[in-house]
Order: sequence, then C-alpha cells, then structure tokens
Amino acid sequence: MIRRWWRRRPDEPMTCHEVGELLQHFLDDELDAGRGQRIAEHLEDCRRCGLEAETYTRIKRTIAERHHDDLPAESIRRLREFGEHLARGEEPPGR
Amino acid sequence: MTGSTGASDAFATYVLPEIEVLLRVARSITRDPVEAEDLVQDTLLRAFRAIDGFDGRHPRAWLLTILRNTNINRHRKRRPELMRDPDTELERLAAEPGADAPDAAVDAGFDHEIEVALAELPEVFRRVVELVDVDGLSYAEAAEVLGVPIGTVMSRLHRARARIREHLVRTGVAPRSTR
Repeated sequence: MIRRWWRRRPDEPMTCHEVGELLQHFLDDELDAGRGQRIAEHLEDCRRCGLEAETYTRIKRTIAERHHDDLPAESIRRLREFGEHLARGEEPPGR
Repeated sequence: MTGSTGASDAFATYVLPEIEVLLRVARSITRDPVEAEDLVQDTLLRAFRAIDGFDGRHPRAWLLTILRNTNINRHRKRRPELMRDPDTELERLAAEPGADAPDAAVDAGFDHEIEVALAELPEVFRRVVELVDVDGLSYAEAAEVLGVPIGTVMSRLHRARARIREHLVRTGVAPRSTR
C-alpha cells in the first residue's frame, strides 16, 4: 500500500482510492508531512473523501472524549512515591 | 549505564515521566483500577531491575514491553482465553445471528450508537481502539503493548472502525459511504 505510493511522482495528485487506503493513517497522524499534506489537499477538493474523513474523525473524537477518564490522583501519587523510592535505592512502600 | 547512581538517574529520567501513560494503558488492558495500579507497580520494579541494560532509546516502547510481559506473567494461568486467536473473533461475531439488530436503538443519537458499536466489538479489537484513540498511543506503541506486529494493530484498528461505521450507517446516524 505505502510502497505503491512511493513510486508516484511527489507532485502527482492522489486518487480517491489512494486516499482511502491511507485515510486512517492520516487521521491517526501516522504519515509523514508530505503525504499528509497531499491527503489534506485532496480532502479539501473532494466532497466524497471529505465526507468519509469527517465521519471517521467524528467517530475517533467521540470515542476519545467519552472514554478518556481522569486518572485518580491518589493512584498517580502512590506510583510516583513508589518509583521515587526505587530511584533512591530505598525499599518501596507497601512491598 | 553502570553503578547505582547511574541506574537511579536513568530510572528518574526515563521511567518516572511515563508513569501516567503506563497507568492509562494498564487501565485499558486490565479494566480494573486496582489491578492496573498493581501492574504498574510491578512494571516499575522490573524496569528498575533492568535499567542497567537499557540503552536510553525509546523509553516508552521499552516500558510498554515490560508492562505487557508483566501482565502476561500475572495472568497466564488465570486467563486461558488470551491464547485464542483474536483475529477470528470479529468474523465469528459478525456471523452470529442477531448481532447488530437493525431495530436496536434506531432513534438514539450518534454518541449512543458509537457506544453500542464499541460494546459489540470483540475485546481485542476494542482494546486497539482504546489504546490508539483514548490513550493516544502510536501504532508502534500499541503493537508493543499487545505483543503483535504493527500490521496487526493497523488491521484490527481499521476493521474495528469500519465495523463501527457500518453500525452507524445501519442505524441511520452516519451517511453511507459512496466509495
């Protein structure tokens, strides 16, 4: 998939099919800047791919917002204390 | 890195800043806050013992590997279902009659339908979605946590999202793909 794209000239516009193959990587920020920019340009011009990207972005964002719970401060404090004891070469608390 | 001072410095430099990420990932993979904290504690202990051999490159990936191995060791005997091939699970569930019944919550909103679709995913697929979308791991980091090739992470993630999207289309809260 990615190998095929490398064979293309850098100034050649991407097709809808190519954008479809790389869309998830683009949304997850897993592409290099050059390919990311070309996909972004395609999405601006192509209503069909733009709609596809919009739907997947909304899915990704909704999952992130609804499931991103705040970590309990007490757990973090205990683990930091545990780690700091280790770093100082001391017996960690509660072991 | 040799000597106790070097080890302590390395531990403070590379490990302590990753505690929150480790706890977040541990909560995703254990689904139990108490177990997650224990898992991170064990991970820290193992990391401390191994810090002399760590070359200082990619500390998060190194720690996520330790966390994964620690988790496997803790649960190998208790969780035999982990040995099943997860990539057949999606097909198996998709083939089950009644899955994604079209009359289920048709009038509910987008957010609700995402929850339904997410809940219907096999556990291994949901975990990948959570590690990437909720915990913010890269594909490579998620692969470290799960102990699978990066291609498997991509495949599970993309198939999971496609399945969520199909559910949203079926329940009328997302437009049908015109591809």
